[in-house]
Amino acid sequence: MKRLISSNHMWLRNVAGPVTLLVVPCLIFIGIYFLYAVWTAYVSFTDLGLIGRKAIDPSFVGFKNYIRLFTRTGFLDSLWVTTQFTLISAVLGQSFLGLTLAAVMKSPQIRLKPVIEFAFLFGWLVPDIVAAFMWNAFANRDGFLNSLFLGPLGFDSVNLLNQYAMTVIIVANIWKGTAWSYLLFSASLDSVSSEMIEAAYMDGAKRFQRFWYVILPMIKAQIVTNILFVTIWTFSYFPLVWGLTGGGPGRETEVLSIFMYRQAFDVGRLGYGSAVAMAMLITVGFFAIFYMRFLKEKK
Amino acid sequence: MQMSMRRSPSGLFFTQAALIVMTLLWISPASWLFMTAFDPAASGAFKLPDGFTLDHFAAVLQRKSGVQFINSMLISAGTATFTVFVAGIAAYPFSRLNIPFKNGILWVLVLLRILPPVAIMIPVFLTARITGLLNIPGVVLALTILNLPFAVLLLKNFFDAVPIELEEAAYMEGATLFQIITKVIAPVSRAGIAVVWFMTFTASWNEFLFPYLLLRTDASFPMSVGLYSAFGANNATNYGFLAAYSVIYLAPAVIVYFLLRRNLTTGFAGVGVKG
Repeated sequence: MKRLISSNHMWLRNVAGPVTLLVVPCLIFIGIYFLYAVWTAYVSFTDLGLIGRKAIDPSFVGFKNYIRLFTRTGFLDSLWVTTQFTLISAVLGQSFLGLTLAAVMKSPQIRLKPVIEFAFLFGWLVPDIVAAFMWNAFANRDGFLNSLFLGPLGFDSVNLLNQYAMTVIIVANIWKGTAWSYLLFSASLDSVSSEMIEAAYMDGAKRFQRFWYVILPMIKAQIVTNILFVTIWTFSYFPLVWGLTGGGPGRETEVLSIFMYRQAFDVGRLGYGSAVAMAMLITVGFFAIFYMRFLKEKK
Repeated sequence: MQMSMRRSPSGLFFTQAALIVMTLLWISPASWLFMTAFDPAASGAFKLPDGFTLDHFAAVLQRKSGVQFINSMLISAGTATFTVFVAGIAAYPFSRLNIPFKNGILWVLVLLRILPPVAIMIPVFLTARITGLLNIPGVVLALTILNLPFAVLLLKNFFDAVPIELEEAAYMEGATLFQIITKVIAPVSRAGIAVVWFMTFTASWNEFLFPYLLLRTDASFPMSVGLYSAFGANNATNYGFLAAYSVIYLAPAVIVYFLLRRNLTTGFAGVGVKG
């Protein structure tokens, strides 16, 4: 007889019922999580407000919020800012730099490894708001970047957050996130068999050739995993940019998470804010589907 | 591989030099922070301290920031304990039993882990407003929901690695289910549970968005929101105070990492899913 809940182990068969009940609290929380996502979808079809009459008596507006995403200014600008921020800081910055660093640090001839590692890890471990505060001070008129680089090079000291806000948040995010990619790639490089690399060396492959033709194909899966995760995280990253620039000056660094927060909680349009959140969710969903396809192909 | 494939001396020199330059660049924000925190004449400028003082730290402990440290502790320890409890008791059956839709549920957990938090921000806020949870317990509940998927996946992996023979032996000896859980399973998986507890603790300690969304008064802020409102609010920024505040705020996150360093790789186990 096949039971609904079964186990391959004798002793668990008799207690399977009560043990299964232990899952219930967890399922309730997961259910709430799921319900919240559905609730956001529902709100996105209404004109629910944060305060006032629309907060008590919202009406159903169909796809109006979604049409607005593309017809009014704001969303598309933010999407472009977010795309730039994500591509440059996460994909080109963190992933590329993390991989390079991991590859270089595998060489036994490199000295001071613990110190180098600590410097990178520190950025990753520091809470987002501390990072925002430090980079805020750094970009100041008499801060680090001005006094050590721009000043000696003969430039007038400028408030970098006013003039190069986008560059500052990108640099700050590379500083903050590279360690995660480094750790992941460092672990995946350990799994590459050294026999393969030695064989390539014997065949006369140069250092770069060995990396490009032997090592890279072997860690392809981890590279895709890494790029996807950092892309997804950076795409909806909020605290660092919020703390550093608040989306400014003007709306120059207003990434989607900030745009969504502003629309929902500053302007008070929860319906429109929900539509922005749904648009973000759908974008991330596309990344996730792509990722799962890739994993299936690998198997 | 290493012995036969040495770099040329000049290549090695340039690689090493490049690494050192990068290290200096990467560590400079930290060095600024520590120099400023102990500098009696602290300003935003990047300079060596004029002297040494602990005044800034004393100021942090005296003002409402001391309360904010306690709030951060309450939120983080509360979230970590609650998350580990709910996730732990669920991860065990997920590891041992063939529950209907088990794989489906585990995939949902993976998907929830990559769901952007902004997607549930508005409902979280609305529920908290209706139920009167715009306070610290509300933040703990919200963070538990957010951290739960990852915690369940990690703990399931830990339990999968614990041999079931131990439980079987205890059962043969006549132990009850409760005894098996508390006397056999819990002690054996203590290390795994501790790792997940500290990971959740650090994640909640660093969390900014949800406390910022749900808390309204200075006295209820954790340190993340406290620091933000201190440097975001007024232009006449007190750098010494803020730097000392930052040092106190970042210390637990950094210390926990180095305590758990060896177990860190488990953090990546949850990134992929084992079907």
